[in-house]
Amino acid sequence: MSLAIDIIKHGGRRASESFSQEKLHASILAACLSVRTPVGQAEAIARAVSTSVISWLENKPEVTSQDVRRIASKHLRTHHPDAAYIYEQHRITI
Amino acid sequence: MTIASSLAIVALAALIHASFQLSVSVLTLLSGHVIGAKKSQAKVLRMTTSFVFGAGVMTLLLLSFTSLVLLHLFGSHAPLAVWAIGCGLLFGVGVAVWLFYYRREKGTSIWIPRPIAEYLHERIKATQRSAEAFSLGMTSVLGELIFIIAPIIISALVLIQLPALWQLAGIALYAVISLLSLVIIWVLIGSGHKLSRIQEWRESNKYFLQYAAGGGLLILGFFVYVYEILGSTIGGL
Repeated sequence: MSLAIDIIKHGGRRASESFSQEKLHASILAACLSVRTPVGQAEAIARAVSTSVISWLENKPEVTSQDVRRIASKHLRTHHPDAAYIYEQHRITI
Repeated sequence: MTIASSLAIVALAALIHASFQLSVSVLTLLSGHVIGAKKSQAKVLRMTTSFVFGAGVMTLLLLSFTSLVLLHLFGSHAPLAVWAIGCGLLFGVGVAVWLFYYRREKGTSIWIPRPIAEYLHERIKATQRSAEAFSLGMTSVLGELIFIIAPIIISALVLIQLPALWQLAGIALYAVISLLSLVIIWVLIGSGHKLSRIQEWRESNKYFLQYAAGGGLLILGFFVYVYEILGSTIGGL
């Protein structure tokens, strides 16, 4: 599912792109799985966090990718703090 | 210089090399991607093992190549000026590590050019096969060349003085010790530890590692300076 929201990429160096729920879901799922969460639980968490992010995005014409990551991380932390930590660290590990 | 003290210098230089964190960061991210892509634990092990081997092979190649170049340029005894340059490099990189190694922000981002970091990010995401993981391991060693060049040059200067067999032993010793941190992370990931715990430990101890690496470089520089340069000049008077 794609909402009509432009995502401005990190640092503004790359072109903006439309919001993709699948991409958000996949990134949260990967964070959960990478901390050895069972697949079913990881899927459920990814769905719940994606839904929360989408409701936050309503009525916003454009947001930055960092905003999406920050809000997703905030919701993810309530479900799985370890996964949220890995999710936050992704861009600041190297 | 005796064989024992030569190998001790090589071992200390390799230990300093092991405390640099780019390869460890790349290995952590790579294993996160592989686990996150629902791959089997066997696949995770194959990829991480290939990565560690790649880093080891590149370390061996770098040290061998540097030794060969120095051997061709200066023979088995480099002039004091070259030792002085090597010591200067150790002091300079040591101070630079103290001042700049980690970026002043959350996480474990290190002071390497951002295009290199972004390239590594892209390659980690694109890596699907063990051969790619192997080349990523090699690339990650090259990525931190700016920091590891000082211990590698000093080790090469020490190694070219040794008999051929001990040169090989010294190169192997350097490669094994410099891989210690990677091997520890590899074992932790292979035994099912959570990446979040590993990354949390790395983040909370990053300044310790930074000061240990910088301090190690200064100590090594001071020791080599006293042993090789002051020892030769005072002994020669």
